[in-house]
Amino acid sequence: MVIQTLVLSGMLICALQAIRAPRLLVSALWLAGCSALLALAIALLGAPEVGVVELSVGAGLVTIIFVFAINIAGEETAVAGALVPRPLAWVLMGLFLFLLLWLTVPRLLIPALNRDALPFLRAVWEERSLDTILQVALIFSAVLGSIGLLADRREPARAETPARRAGGAQ
Amino acid sequence: METSWLLPLTVFLPWAGALVVLAAGRAARLRIVLAIAFAAADAVLSLLLIPLASSRTGFSVTLGGAFGELSLLPDGFGVFLAAVAAVIGGLAVVFSVDYMRGEEGQGRYYALVLFFIGAMVGLVLSANLLMVVVFWEITALCSWLLISFHNDDPKAVAGGIKALIITGLGGVGLLAGSLAIYAQSGTFDIPTFMAQAHGFPPQLLAWIGFGFLAAAAAKSAQFPFQTWLPDAMEAPTPISALIHAATMVNAGVYLLARFYPAFSSVPGWTLAVVLVGAVSAFIAGLMAVVANDLKRALAWSTVSQLGFMVYAIGAGGIFQSQFHLLSHSVFKALLFLGAGAVIHTVGTRDMRQMGGLSKKMPLTCVVFVIGALALAGIPPVNGFWSKELLLEGGLQSGPFWAYVVMLVTAGLTALYALRCVWMVFFAPPQESHEAPGAHPVHDAGPAMKVALIPLALGSLATWLLAGPFHALLARTLPFHFGPGEVGPGASGTWQMVVEVVSAPSTWLALAVVAVGILAWVGRGVFAKMGAGLRPARRAAEAGFGFEAINRGIANAVQGAGEGLRATQTGVLNWNIAAIVMAVIAVLAALALGG
Amino acid sequence: MTGSVWTIAIAAVLCLVAIGIYGLLILRNLIKIVVALQVFAKGTILIMVVAGGMAGKPAIGQSLAITVLVADTAITIVALALAIQVRRWCGTLDTRVISTLRR
Repeated sequence: MVIQTLVLSGMLICALQAIRAPRLLVSALWLAGCSALLALAIALLGAPEVGVVELSVGAGLVTIIFVFAINIAGEETAVAGALVPRPLAWVLMGLFLFLLLWLTVPRLLIPALNRDALPFLRAVWEERSLDTILQVALIFSAVLGSIGLLADRREPARAETPARRAGGAQ
Repeated sequence: METSWLLPLTVFLPWAGALVVLAAGRAARLRIVLAIAFAAADAVLSLLLIPLASSRTGFSVTLGGAFGELSLLPDGFGVFLAAVAAVIGGLAVVFSVDYMRGEEGQGRYYALVLFFIGAMVGLVLSANLLMVVVFWEITALCSWLLISFHNDDPKAVAGGIKALIITGLGGVGLLAGSLAIYAQSGTFDIPTFMAQAHGFPPQLLAWIGFGFLAAAAAKSAQFPFQTWLPDAMEAPTPISALIHAATMVNAGVYLLARFYPAFSSVPGWTLAVVLVGAVSAFIAGLMAVVANDLKRALAWSTVSQLGFMVYAIGAGGIFQSQFHLLSHSVFKALLFLGAGAVIHTVGTRDMRQMGGLSKKMPLTCVVFVIGALALAGIPPVNGFWSKELLLEGGLQSGPFWAYVVMLVTAGLTALYALRCVWMVFFAPPQESHEAPGAHPVHDAGPAMKVALIPLALGSLATWLLAGPFHALLARTLPFHFGPGEVGPGASGTWQMVVEVVSAPSTWLALAVVAVGILAWVGRGVFAKMGAGLRPARRAAEAGFGFEAINRGIANAVQGAGEGLRATQTGVLNWNIAAIVMAVIAVLAALALGG
Repeated sequence: MTGSVWTIAIAAVLCLVAIGIYGLLILRNLIKIVVALQVFAKGTILIMVVAGGMAGKPAIGQSLAITVLVADTAITIVALALAIQVRRWCGTLDTRVISTLRR
């Protein structure tokens, strides 16, 4: 259990750093670390299959996609100054957390129910087979969609305008 | 039961047709053929439904959860209005072949018409209130899109938006009433509500009743919502014939008729209905007398006749109102299509620039005169029989002052009907369409004739269906007609004829009609007296102040919209903040609700 | 606190979700917003596993977690493609500059 706590805390630290990192690539790397630690935590919780998938997809695939995207889009120095005032963000986050806690804490005291002995593989391929098929379709359509989005069509005609606007705006 | 597949097919076939027409792309001839095929098929299907009418739900599929069931009930109201919608829809499509020849965007046009027909059929056949609301809004959507069909014309766009806003606000009344019914009884099913209505708390029932009345008044362009219909005349004329004369505006009357047994015991409801009907009929009659635009005159005439039907419902005459609805759908569609033929050749809607067309457009003249006779209520055309029955029923069971108002309006009806016919066909011809360079005036094209002739024959003949129609209603509507109830025409059409001819109110009404006709013929005399009436005429032309109210409301809404625009910053983070705030609100509601 | 493993996991989920939302509200760069969304989604994956374990139906919970993972990956793919397009068309990834609804 101590290990659990350590792993989860490490994951939280990585997540926080991912948000706060000034450079995009560093941020993506922190996210990869967060995914890896999450995969470990899930495996320790008794779901090794999910842990493996999370590791390969979350820490592997998504990170590679991020790196590609950042390379294509180009590194941009983060502009300072949030648009939503920070106090408001804190307040909203606090309220959200508080309400979630309110709703979940009573439920924590429910005694554990009888363990359903359904093995994971049967759940994926039989009980929820339709879901699995839909997930495959979803991934394919996402990939095809993004290929379509990224197809080079015309010259981006407004490349200069935002520079002027950024200069002219406050 | 055969209805289990016939019902959903009748509703959804036109929708399939709309998609097919859109998919036909630019193939003009194919589009037209497809549109006519689907419309005609639906007309046939709806007619097939009539002998299968029953008071039991014919088709139902469970949608799950709070939505209940999508159920279709082929009772008397439903099959009758479905047949009207589909048949007149088919005729309007045929008419449009000539009328819309050469126009842009015909694919969109035919698809919308088919979409509308399906929605209208679904509206009247639905036995689930939520589906009624959905179809109600779909018809409002199609109506707006078709009114603004020529979307580069600002008048058309303005007319469409006005119609959408007013009928949409009315739709809120319908939705609120439906939700209240659900909250009280846990179901949206209409027959269940009708059986339980008397067990509702009286206050709640009153709110629901008046909410429905508001929705019906807005949809049928009754007082105080009557201003949108004349402005909707910017739509192509076949659309005016289909939507704004024969089908969509009937939805309000249908709503009132269907729910009458539930609300008739609410104190003041029937009186409010009578009031709405009588005031609408009278005001609209006055507006029709001073209108110079042919379609506007017909639009006000529609409002007036719908007022008659609403008045009849308030007085308890359900059969009379539905019978007049049948006659009106036929003759008003006929009048609009005839007007469309005239407008198409002459190129203007202003009656002052028409005249002398009787020689140049003989067929159109004949059918238009038949329609006008029906409108004025002159025997033996169908309008006469239904209007007399209506007035007689109103005299027997409605307030007397309302009867007087309706009688005067009947006279006004004859007056403006004759005025229209005279100004368009028999007045001395004006110079404008004789001028060289103006396109030659010719009679209606072949497709137009194909549409006009059945309607004219219908106007001459539908009154013969009175007996079977009454039997159909009595058989399939257990809440409206108790067992053993005997109404006019119960034992057949011939008895109805005898009844109408022998009733003194008939002769009184005919006398009033004659006065109306004489008033037109002797208008030279009245013109001298007219100087004193000029302020009234100006008030009538300005729409009795309703236009000013409309402009005020529109400006207020626009101002509020401009003010709220400040919240739409377009910045992603603020959008996310709004989402988070909404989720917090939901969580708070959950936490507090326990 | 009972000290059960599940409780700690739920606490971690709540923190992840909070960090994710905070990031979504604060960040200005589109790609970093996608990162924040990913953090939020990891919280969802974890809660699925935890909920399945606590309710005594671990297999169902895990398959739901896989579903969320896959859906979230699909979203990330498309979102990044969109971000690249925004960069091409507007020249920048800053949410302030790309907002085109002006007064």
